[in-house]
Amino acid sequence: MPLVQAFVFAAIGGVFGVGVTVAGRVLTGREAWSLEPVVTVGYIFALLGWLLGIGVWDQWAREWLGLPVEHRQHRGWARYFAFTTDHKVVGVQYLVTFVALFLLAGLLAMLIRIELMAPGMTFMGLGTYNQVMSLHGIVMVAVAVATIIGGLGNYTVPLLIGAEDVAFPRLNALSYWLVPPVAILLIGTFFTGGLDTGWTAYPPLSDVNAAGQVLFNLAVITFGLSSILGGLNFLVTIATLRAPGMGWGRLPIFVWSIFAASLISLTATQFLAAGLMMILFDRLLGMAFFRASAGGDPLLYQHVFWFYSHPAVYIMILPGFGLALEVLSHFSRKPLFGYRLVPGGFIAIVVLSFVVWAHHLFTSGMSDALHGPFMVTTELISIPTGLVFLSALGTLWLGRLWLTTPMLFGLAFVFNFLIGGLTGIYLADVPTDIHLQDTHFVVAHFHYTIVGGEIFALFAGIYYWFPKMTGRMFSERWGKVHFWWMFLAYHTTFIPMFWAGIHGMNRRVGDYPAELGDVNLFISVAAFVMGGSFVVFTANVVWSWVRGPRAVANPWRAHTLEWQVASPPPIENFPATPVVVGSPYAYGVPGAVHAVLTTAPAHTPAASGGAQAEPAGPALAADSA
Amino acid sequence: MVGRGRKHALWVALLWITLTVAGEAVVLTFDVLPPVAAEEGRVVDAAFRLLTILGMPVFTFVVAVLVYSVLVFRSRGTPEQDGPPLVARPLIAGAWLVATSALSIYVIINPGLTGLAELRTHREPDVVVQVEGSRWQWKVTYPRQQVTSNKELVLPVNKHVRFDVTAVDVVHSFWIPSFRMKIDAVPGRVTTVHVTPTQTGTEAQDFNLRLVCAELCGLGHSLMSLSVRVVEQADFDRWVSSARTATAADGERQQALAGSRS
Amino acid sequence: MPGWTHKTDETVQHMSDFVLPLPKHETAVAVHGAAVHEHAPASSLSRNRVGLWWFILSECFLFLAFISARYYLLGLERPAELNQALGLGLSLLLLVSSLTAYRAELGAQHGDRRRLLRNTATTILLGLVFLMGVGYEWSEALVHFPPSEAFGTVFFSLTGLHAFHVLSGVVLLALVYWNARRGRYDSGSIWGVEASVKYWHFVDVAWVFIYPTLYLVR
Ligand code: HEA
Ligand code: HEA
Ligand code: CUA
Ligand SMILES: [Cu+2]
Repeated sequence: MPLVQAFVFAAIGGVFGVGVTVAGRVLTGREAWSLEPVVTVGYIFALLGWLLGIGVWDQWAREWLGLPVEHRQHRGWARYFAFTTDHKVVGVQYLVTFVALFLLAGLLAMLIRIELMAPGMTFMGLGTYNQVMSLHGIVMVAVAVATIIGGLGNYTVPLLIGAEDVAFPRLNALSYWLVPPVAILLIGTFFTGGLDTGWTAYPPLSDVNAAGQVLFNLAVITFGLSSILGGLNFLVTIATLRAPGMGWGRLPIFVWSIFAASLISLTATQFLAAGLMMILFDRLLGMAFFRASAGGDPLLYQHVFWFYSHPAVYIMILPGFGLALEVLSHFSRKPLFGYRLVPGGFIAIVVLSFVVWAHHLFTSGMSDALHGPFMVTTELISIPTGLVFLSALGTLWLGRLWLTTPMLFGLAFVFNFLIGGLTGIYLADVPTDIHLQDTHFVVAHFHYTIVGGEIFALFAGIYYWFPKMTGRMFSERWGKVHFWWMFLAYHTTFIPMFWAGIHGMNRRVGDYPAELGDVNLFISVAAFVMGGSFVVFTANVVWSWVRGPRAVANPWRAHTLEWQVASPPPIENFPATPVVVGSPYAYGVPGAVHAVLTTAPAHTPAASGGAQAEPAGPALAADSA
Repeated sequence: MVGRGRKHALWVALLWITLTVAGEAVVLTFDVLPPVAAEEGRVVDAAFRLLTILGMPVFTFVVAVLVYSVLVFRSRGTPEQDGPPLVARPLIAGAWLVATSALSIYVIINPGLTGLAELRTHREPDVVVQVEGSRWQWKVTYPRQQVTSNKELVLPVNKHVRFDVTAVDVVHSFWIPSFRMKIDAVPGRVTTVHVTPTQTGTEAQDFNLRLVCAELCGLGHSLMSLSVRVVEQADFDRWVSSARTATAADGERQQALAGSRS
Repeated sequence: MPGWTHKTDETVQHMSDFVLPLPKHETAVAVHGAAVHEHAPASSLSRNRVGLWWFILSECFLFLAFISARYYLLGLERPAELNQALGLGLSLLLLVSSLTAYRAELGAQHGDRRRLLRNTATTILLGLVFLMGVGYEWSEALVHFPPSEAFGTVFFSLTGLHAFHVLSGVVLLALVYWNARRGRYDSGSIWGVEASVKYWHFVDVAWVFIYPTLYLVR
């Protein structure tokens, strides 16, 4: 119902925006119709209409205007299609949406691989190839940025820190409801001339190509807004809503990783918006940011873009680190090794990530003087990243490894990301990058870090929390089938890509020299096999969600807070604010307790009344000391 | 407990050393790099090999601990007991930090900064070639020889060549895989790259002797390639003179065209 | 040499900064004693405040991007045709409006509705005058450095971005005015006023960086 209203409002907004633009153009004596301005203004109003329709008006705007508000709570399935403020619902909304987008973009990857099976344009035209490849890239990047944070993060962070909800539940719902327009716009690029610049959208090409570019820019700016607001929400939630006793030194590592990644989302994302806005200004207002003939500079974009997009790869991987370490600790039945070091490593990664961006520009023609410094900073990142590996290996050491499906994915993460990270060094090294830049070596590198790293971690997380979120157990047997199938096919697909890249296989080409035919055929076949593993995954998830056996509250016997309540947790999460008294990972320590859950109502004066008024600051200091 | 930990550590160390030796042996015997046809490319290849050699122990260490743990520490079914609560001793954490930092800094210096320095030392060029990328073709001009071509790039062997690269419309990228050299062609800028071909050859002999566009530039990006031919100096001179007449004729035709239009 | 592990009871000691090995029956003490005043979730007001600061930090990066574009494209170049008097005048106008915004907040804090209304109205007015000034500035700029060349690009995008923020600030203040008229801040919960005023200050501070970037550097 709210969804229908949203579509209607969006249509009204869109029509209004189009009308305003056309009227404005006529009044200023220009031709009435021009696709790009009309689409831009139309979209802005359609977006406003969409948000008002989905629930911002009822639940939010009325309050600002001092009008009476009735907080409608949707129940049952309807919750998932409405502006719902329960973080658990928002988490599921994110997760389902982005897993669906992942499968969609994965199918696009299959199209890419069909075309690359043989040299020559065999299956689609050159233009179509560029569009399919670009769409695969940008949708996957969105998946990589938002699925763990928005999906698993939303669902679990408040539970993990013992809070009732996130700090700003309505903002949270808003972050999610900004996503469907993004998906619609991105798919819409196909119908407005397509997007053919790759996910990086370098001008001047993106200044002069078809109108699909405008839709892309609007979509990504909207997505950026969503991820800024999401990041803000997590920062405030983690900073202010931790349960009593949950000091910074007792936060589960996944929460730490979300905190670190949110720092990047909050700040760097503005640069992405800025870069894309500059392209829009060039296109719509005739500005000259990137037109060399008028005093602009195409390299400006590359600097602005990578100032965001390099840190963005750590938005992707930090939650992956957190998730993998979390899983490794629980399933090794051992405390997280080096718990005190890892958050430090995260923060070091965040700080360093802001000063390495130009390693994407080693062959761009930027000043030679920048090569050395950026090579140095980039390679230094391997040191804090190494701490994650120390922690992972130390956690396994002498443990009691419980090889469940999530654990297998966690272990695979360590192996895969190692390859991704080490091949990053070849790219960070200027002499080798000169050859490897923009080849399939780079493609293999980032599929190793993102797919092998983050996506494997994502699956670890999905399986790990599946019982908590759905109240059902998944099938271990089919989970393991999925794992081994995906793991083996994955390596078979992407290892040869390194070889192809070294041997002259360009990125972003639909056609290539005949000599590279064999390796590409091999990769394609392996990729199709890999695609099959997701059929197993999807079937397992859908079947188990509907028919799986009921899950107990704590099937993994984990210590962290989310497992101490029912599966799925009640709306208010905890019967009373829990009190945290120890580490979340105290496995093997006799009598160790992470937190105490009382059943007393939350607002007994003794337990929380006095404490509520206390500012958070001094307590934090005491805790981390 | 203590004894057992040490025993496991010994086994892992053994596994690590074995894997490392095997890995390095493989790396040193099988070369993944395609034929190289330029002096500067050798710097790139040397850096590549060194990185592989240096990265191997890191790779095998993680793999050794990972594999050993999975094989030896796995529990059959649900574990009844917890593992021992180890903490990261300052000694272990410190050793790890020192080792990774040292390696990282070493890699930065060699092959990073040293390779960079090597690539930056340029001699006076024997040949200058202006390269212009446009959608979707390459045009090469030899200003001293007054030759222009968009059919092929011909270079004399063992001569130091400087390419002045630019683009007229969007960003393209100049890449000759067999030379290992790449630089973007950016509108409004001239970027340079230096190459000294060391072997004669044609694209038919080595498919990576081609000047290929390495930056997505729209529809024809995949097809934007120019074949490269490296020849002896005498052949080069011969080619220059024949190409010069072609260029001149081309120029005249263009002038005539312009004339008839005005 | 110490091994990788400790004996169990030693371990517990070593781990004491790692976990609190509280036996079950002692947890009650934890609930009512030590743990509780250690740390507690913050109230919604302090949450909002923290959120606003994070938001402002985020916005800084947006302005930073455009400001760095200016230096990247033009270095310290600046055309002679800039209307310095107007630029200075606009800057002063904004500074004054920050003062009135501050007084509006004071009014709200003291429950002085009239003072709140008067100062909010003045701030809105100053904001509107500022916007009109920008419009005039643009009409001149269009002649000297149109947006189709480098300085014009930077000038129009920076001032435009900032004007958009001023406009949104004006809208927020108008909401404050509307709500104040209806007595919504009399009860003492004045977060709406505080937030809008802080935002207004931020927009001013942004101008403090933009103004020299466009008008003064050389
Ligand atoms: C999750 C995403 C992710 C992650 C985590 C990384 C991590 C790293 N990346 Fe990657 N990268 C991408 C995603 C990612 N990257 C993407 C998407 C692109 C392409 C964008 C495009 O053009 O479309 C790219 C491109 C890219 C380039 C540009 C290539 C080019 O276009 O020419 C470079 C160059 O420096 C680079 C380097 C690195 C480095 C050094 C790391 C480091 O963080 C890795 C650090 C990890 C390790 C080193 C391993 C573990 C460490 C140890 C075990 C300690 C001991 C090790 C040593 C001392 C070496 N990456
Ligand atoms: C999260 C990030 C992510 C993920 C997961 C993937 C996954 C895959 N990617 Fe992609 N890729 C990128 C991010 C990602 N990629 C990016 C950023 C680029 C750069 C774009 C650019 O240059 O601009 C890129 C580019 C890229 C290229 C280079 C194109 C070029 O340069 O010309 C290739 C080529 O092989 C490729 C292949 C694959 C393959 C085979 C997979 C496989 O792992 C996919 C496997 C998944 C599936 C196959 C899903 C299958 C679904 C089903 C079977 C449906 C089941 C459904 C039901 C049962 C209902 N990708
Ligand atoms: Cu020219 Cu790609
Ligand atoms: Cu990067």
